[in-house]
Amino acid sequence: MRTKVILALGAVALPLLLRNLYAIMFLVPDEMEQGPIYRIFYYHLPAFFTAALCYLTALVSSILYLLKKDQKYDAIAVSATETGLAFAAVNLITGMIWGRISWGIWWAWDPRLTWALICWLVYFGYLMLRSAIDDPTERAKNSAVLSVFASASVAITWKAIEWWRTQHPGPVLSIRTGGVQKIDPIMENMIYVNTVALLFLAAIFILVRLRQEEVQREIDALRRYAHAMN
Amino acid sequence: MTTLRHAAAIAVKDLRSEFRTKESINSTLSFSVVILLLFAFAFDPTPDMIAEFGGGLLWIVFVFAGALIVNRAFARELPNDCIDVLVSSPASGASLFLGKAVAAFVLLFGIECICLPVFGILYNVTWWRSLSGMMGVLALGTWAMACVGVFISALTVNLRLREVMLPMLVYPVLIPAILPAMMLTNTLLTGQPLPSDFGVWLRLLVGFNIMFTTLSVYLAETILVR
Amino acid sequence: MDERNITYMFYGLAVAWGLLAVYAVLLGLRERDLTKQLDTLKRMVEEKK
Repeated sequence: MRTKVILALGAVALPLLLRNLYAIMFLVPDEMEQGPIYRIFYYHLPAFFTAALCYLTALVSSILYLLKKDQKYDAIAVSATETGLAFAAVNLITGMIWGRISWGIWWAWDPRLTWALICWLVYFGYLMLRSAIDDPTERAKNSAVLSVFASASVAITWKAIEWWRTQHPGPVLSIRTGGVQKIDPIMENMIYVNTVALLFLAAIFILVRLRQEEVQREIDALRRYAHAMN
Repeated sequence: MTTLRHAAAIAVKDLRSEFRTKESINSTLSFSVVILLLFAFAFDPTPDMIAEFGGGLLWIVFVFAGALIVNRAFARELPNDCIDVLVSSPASGASLFLGKAVAAFVLLFGIECICLPVFGILYNVTWWRSLSGMMGVLALGTWAMACVGVFISALTVNLRLREVMLPMLVYPVLIPAILPAMMLTNTLLTGQPLPSDFGVWLRLLVGFNIMFTTLSVYLAETILVR
Repeated sequence: MDERNITYMFYGLAVAWGLLAVYAVLLGLRERDLTKQLDTLKRMVEEKK
């Protein structure tokens, strides 16, 4: 069943991703000031949305784990965090490449960039903590608590940035600017379509990772069983 | 009320045992002074430079010291399985955490108060120009470190790689507290009138403390009770 | 628009796809490793019965 869902998602995601790549390269108009480089943006922003959604999923399932103590939620949390990190890496590195052209430097210690990097490090720490604990219940509990803690830190850093100045371009999507059309609707739609494509991809990653967690648990159980037989 | 009384008992116990052995005070204090010395060699700072990064330098030293102190918070209870006894005692997880955090705070604050004059002498800085403000910022930043640090040290106490893991997890989480602490200390060191963004940084620091104190007191029960 | 602009656009797109591809490959490798472990264990348990 799970495999079929994954395959079905893949059947939707792959053509969509390829179509979007074609559209991004050839169909959308050039941005007036920036030239072709701005097309990176069609991956930069959707990757951010996807990563943010993954982090949020991880937070929610960590809280659910703490409330219900069900290993299922722990598995979702780790899968979502790992996938989120992959997409956050896309977000960060495409941003750096864009910055090299637009700002002339790879990395500016701009609050938003710094926030994204802190976020990455915090959740990477989460994975490190997981890998250091052997006992599954202990691991699930401690990493769920750390996930909640880390999310609080990430949220407060995010808030701090809104108070502080930033040289990162401000919001352009009409949902964030209160209906004011700041970019061409064709461009805006492209962003949404590619966000959907990346979300499909993220769903596939999470499902595959989730199954791996289950297989891992099965392996652990078999190990204990084999050990008990000796 | 009982929570606070139990917390006070644990804090006093921790401090008493620390003052008897003095193992983390001595090592942390000498470590901090060595770092202050090393920075002086590394940067050969002029007064202008100190005005620019004095706060940052000071807080880097404090953060290093903080990692050493909070590492001991629960590790101290590992020999003789004291931690299991503490957990099964009538004290709740919250009071256990609070007591440990207060003890770490007192130790760290004491060490910082010794480091500050050393910093002043080595780098020729008049740091006492706004003493009360300085102490306030120091206390707020130190509580943030003690609270987050002790909480995460409870998470990592059973790990083999505890010493490496703890700073790796604590520092990124602490950034929203350390950043304003550095900025505020910098401003206070220069002795100039407070700029307009002073309030924003102060709010951020206070907000961080309130949020994380609440969160860790609330979650302490979950991690400590097995 | 200068050439560097276009080159960097390609770098950007390549990185976006590349990173996701690398993660997918890593997932695939882990999948293979886990399946192998599971098979070995199952066989071991069968033999012992």
